[in-house]
Amino acid sequence: MEQLAELTAPARRLALVGLAKNTGKTETLAALLRELQARGRRVGVTSVGRDGEERDVIDIRIEKPRVELCAGSLVATTDALLRAGAIPHEIVSETGVRTPLGRVLIARLLARGTIEVAGPSAAADVREVADTMLAHGAEQVLIDGAIDRRAASSPAVSDGLVMSTGATLHEEIEQVVGRTRDAVELVRLPELNQQHVREIAASNAASMLVGGPEEEPLTLHPRFVLTSTAPDIGQLLRARPTASHLVVRGALCEPFLAELLSARKLAPPPRELELVVADPTKVFLTDHGVDWYRRQGISMTVLTSIDLRALTVNPVAPQSHRFDSPRLRAMLEEAIPGLPMLDVRDPTHHLVPAA
Amino acid sequence: MPETADLEHVKPYADHHGDGIVQLSFTLPLPDGLAARKAAMELAGKMGFQHPEVVHHQRLTDGHTYFVMYGHTVHTVDYATLAEEGIDIVQYMTEEEVEAYAQEHVRRPIVVVGASTGTDTHSVGIDAMLNLKGFHGHKGLEGYRAFEAHNLGSQVPNGALVAKAIELEADAILVSQTVTQQNLHIHNLTELVEIVEAEGRRRETILACGGPRVSNELAKELGYDAGFSKGTYPHHLATFLVRELAARLGQGEPEEDARDLPPAGRAAFADHIPRGNLAG
Repeated sequence: MEQLAELTAPARRLALVGLAKNTGKTETLAALLRELQARGRRVGVTSVGRDGEERDVIDIRIEKPRVELCAGSLVATTDALLRAGAIPHEIVSETGVRTPLGRVLIARLLARGTIEVAGPSAAADVREVADTMLAHGAEQVLIDGAIDRRAASSPAVSDGLVMSTGATLHEEIEQVVGRTRDAVELVRLPELNQQHVREIAASNAASMLVGGPEEEPLTLHPRFVLTSTAPDIGQLLRARPTASHLVVRGALCEPFLAELLSARKLAPPPRELELVVADPTKVFLTDHGVDWYRRQGISMTVLTSIDLRALTVNPVAPQSHRFDSPRLRAMLEEAIPGLPMLDVRDPTHHLVPAA
Repeated sequence: MPETADLEHVKPYADHHGDGIVQLSFTLPLPDGLAARKAAMELAGKMGFQHPEVVHHQRLTDGHTYFVMYGHTVHTVDYATLAEEGIDIVQYMTEEEVEAYAQEHVRRPIVVVGASTGTDTHSVGIDAMLNLKGFHGHKGLEGYRAFEAHNLGSQVPNGALVAKAIELEADAILVSQTVTQQNLHIHNLTELVEIVEAEGRRRETILACGGPRVSNELAKELGYDAGFSKGTYPHHLATFLVRELAARLGQGEPEEDARDLPPAGRAAFADHIPRGNLAG
């Protein structure tokens, strides 16, 4: 367990994201905090949702891990929660961010204690709070996610990511492994290679259909990717048969991919199409994974990739089922090579070095 | 002069200030009798009550007894500090007050787009909030001059809802969802927030969700600006929206922070609606 701190050390702003509720994200945060505190590192902690609450917000039968911080830690939370925590502290910044639970303050704790953490939710606010904590002396800022929200793992917000998966994803172990593999593949989308496409993406605020370096790129309607149907897309592709890249500004949702596939089936294009998004948090897949779309002739790349540092695995689904931890990890390691994996609650866990 | 409470150490009040007497009632799966009364006393003691006494016991069925008990709590709460730090409750505005407030602080129609998203077929909640008919004699947002309301109905994909909001330059997106213990619709609610983020519009869009199990705590985890649950009327939602937008436009007054609304009053789009209204 000693190694999670080292694995994540390069990321000054580290995002923790779970694939669902109860995948052990907060346990991961607590474990990482213990390691960092043992090393005397000054941390800042914020949460996109809430952390350290006693009971789950949806299922009150589920007890949640508490978040214990040592003196000198910086924390972003609401005025009411700071007061309820009753730990001596000094306010270092009033963020101006308001949440349903109150206004967000950044405080430096003057003594050790457990506290409920509830920072800003909006990605841009999360980044500002993280930077403020770094400016006030935090050596590393941990940004805990909420439920299955991923926005804080965007490179626009954080520098590295720890993902949490677990038995709660499905009752069948093979499904847990498959869904985790798909999620990791999405997070690890490779960066765009073609320099001329990158330049077009950098100098345009709209979605663009791009061909070769000599061709004039085509600017798309502002909501084209959110609203187009197969006939619209087919018309566009017929007008630009040599198009190689579609640069997507904003969200790439699965209905568009389905429409794009239908359009390509009706009139098979001469070449594959690469969809380019800003980063992996802009892609929303439910039915199929990245690999499946690649096999259909649609590949995806990003302008900026996410630095996935490790995967934590929770073999227990609260109030439901559990898997054997070593077996689940072994299956995941086989399906997802080159990614450090650990079960932060298993005292016997060994860290498998990335291949 | 009537006795006043010590606001730093508030206790329940029964016979006189500070006695801390609480009445509680429960049913035990035990036959009525002395042993059952002793069990009830012991249980109240374990709950932390001092001097527990059974004031009423009644056989419900064979083997089940209903108890009413008194007990003294030793705990107090510091109301003085709570009141000082400004989490006191702001009243909801009436329909007329909402209109007047919007005219003064926003000065243009507030564009609101709402839907029941994903696979959720229940549109009754969003209809009650947005449609002119409203419910219980309270008109929906459509009936206000302050709002331009667009109800997209049920089973709306998240991407389509966001696209419509962008097209209309909406100030707020409202989502109605029936959140269940099995977390069926949680993913759908978070996905909407993430798509708004991906579109780079999170900061300028007010996001509110409603449903029978939605609380402020859940709204915070989901990434919404407010959550509405049981007992919400359209003017509750309208109060939140005008105050929140005014605050974002720099027009609000701090003591009118929309988030100071009581959680209990933040109620859902659905539920609470009388049966007779469902067909309407």
